[in-house]
Amino acid sequence: MSASAASARPAAGAVTDGPATAGAGPDVAEAERPSWAPAGLAGRTRAPLWRVLRAEVAWVFRRPRTLAVLGLLTAIPVITGVALNIALGPQAAGPDGPGYTGSPGPALLTSMATSAFALPLGSLMTLLMMLLPLTVAMAAGDALAGEQSHGALRGWLLAPVSRGRLLLVKSVGVFAVGLVAASLVVLSGFLTGLALSGTDGLVSMSGDQLTFGDVLWRLALAVGWAALYLMAVGAVALAISASTEHPMVVVVSVLAGLIVSGVLMQIDALEPMHPYLLPTAVFGLTDLIRDPLAFGGMGEGLVRAGSYLVIGMSLAYARITTKDG
Amino acid sequence: MTTVHAAATAVPEAGSATGTAVAARTRGLRKEYRGTAVVDGVDLEVPRGAVVGMLGPNGSGKTTTIRMLLGLVAPTEGEIELLGAPMPHDADLVLPHVGALVEGPGFHPFLSGRENLLRQAAAEPLLASGGLHAAVSDALERVGLARAANKRYRAYSLGMKQRLGLASALLAPRKLVVLDEPTNGLDPAGTLEIRRIIADLHARGVTVLVSSHLLAEVEATCTHVVVLNEGVVVAQGPLAGLLESGSPTLLVSTPDGARAVEALRDRRIPARLAPDGVRVDTTTTSPATVIETLVRAGIGVDEARRERTGLEEVFARLTHDVGDVVGELGDDLEVA
Repeated sequence: MSASAASARPAAGAVTDGPATAGAGPDVAEAERPSWAPAGLAGRTRAPLWRVLRAEVAWVFRRPRTLAVLGLLTAIPVITGVALNIALGPQAAGPDGPGYTGSPGPALLTSMATSAFALPLGSLMTLLMMLLPLTVAMAAGDALAGEQSHGALRGWLLAPVSRGRLLLVKSVGVFAVGLVAASLVVLSGFLTGLALSGTDGLVSMSGDQLTFGDVLWRLALAVGWAALYLMAVGAVALAISASTEHPMVVVVSVLAGLIVSGVLMQIDALEPMHPYLLPTAVFGLTDLIRDPLAFGGMGEGLVRAGSYLVIGMSLAYARITTKDG
Repeated sequence: MTTVHAAATAVPEAGSATGTAVAARTRGLRKEYRGTAVVDGVDLEVPRGAVVGMLGPNGSGKTTTIRMLLGLVAPTEGEIELLGAPMPHDADLVLPHVGALVEGPGFHPFLSGRENLLRQAAAEPLLASGGLHAAVSDALERVGLARAANKRYRAYSLGMKQRLGLASALLAPRKLVVLDEPTNGLDPAGTLEIRRIIADLHARGVTVLVSSHLLAEVEATCTHVVVLNEGVVVAQGPLAGLLESGSPTLLVSTPDGARAVEALRDRRIPARLAPDGVRVDTTTTSPATVIETLVRAGIGVDEARRERTGLEEVFARLTHDVGDVVGELGDDLEVA
């Protein structure tokens, strides 16, 4: 590797030969090279994907804004748990606690006070309504619009990173933010619950005791599902991000979308429209507190999220391939 | 006219071993924004191994032309060939060999200069994965940023930001380097350093395309010049040719100007009295003949020097009065 590294340096003076072939992996584009291509243009035509992905993810998590929001998201379940614990007292919950009605309400809040199962799950559902989608929207806004307003997108386009690849790399970065954010919320809620009430209150909706392992994989499932849901929001946000140079436009658009959806969901007369609204999917998470588990709601939510994902990504791709760099 | 030929052959042919003698070529390049043509029918030719200065007033289409060359913007009409391959179709083939600094440096304020370059290096196809750090250090060294490498970009001065942009263009071994206003924000030392870097690239056979509105800069560094005005190529060709495009003159200082003019006109050499001496048109004659004529007529010659038209003067003529220039330029220059 060191030999190829040395030859790849500009000082090596090998300006007229493609010197990087030594370091090229299996993705060397020799095979793709048209036979008529000018002989002088030797060497790889694109950098290894993992290298670009690594650079992107490292950049995403170095951004002070991302770190601040992730910190805030981690703190919220702790604050909620402690506050509810003080307000309701430890006696308010327990195996005999009131059952769930299928949507977050006072009953859920009551058991969130102490349970290492309900607190992370309840926090996740609450935050999925607004703050987590906004986090993802912010990441998506920075990914394309923000980068372009800095002029930094040009650097990669000129490297070159093809536009399709750029969208892929940026999507992975946005997905990573959603995944890490959801994980932190659940982890922080879980640990707070454990600290406040140990393994008490690990119950399903019907009041059955759940094993520790049961709780863990249900929570893991919740994180995975939330990450996919957030990526649906991220895909739409990326489409907006590819169409503007102002990251704020992305965040505000997603915020507006969430608020409008929220309002529409409150209006019973618009019932037939509700299945088409993305935030409706969040209620699917209540599947995880059923015993035995039923995945109807989560599955439906996933289909809904998948549709938004496909539409968002298609629009983003259409936009990114035609936009000026 | 001989001087023009001389200048043309003086251009190093370093890149010719790889095939085409042209590093970049456009045909009928046109770009419209909302119905207004920003670039209109540009036929550009950048010879391999040359340092081509792209001149033009603000808004003349320099940056748009460069952005089209690099595939950042799709042209409304026209063909582009970069390093022998069509753009933007073969961008993945061509761009790894092209370094560019377009529209100022674009970096992230919260990362250090080195981290910013590492991010860029990760996407450079020609750099081996094990050699990213070495390439970055090397590029930082070349632009004189090694000591400030670990400072945040936010804390960089305008000149340092510009240098970092240049470093990014020099990360990998290049065949063509495109610099859009590289001396923006640089102090005189920084400007000299850019000149040195361009000369260094030139010596290695790398083709350089520099856009600038600083004429002295272009005059000092370039072998060829392209002049754009209002989206149209007004002139292009070797720098020397452009400078000599006005009729060549000899400026003679003599104590007796009136007699000198008379003596020359007797020999059918066009001459006129100027405030600083006698200006002699040497299109049809040689400086030696002029001096010989004067001396034989008994007129003392204190000093005689060939007058080079400054680029500034040529540029002013080209961009203000296009019609006149077309007539004046020599045959060796392609004039749009």
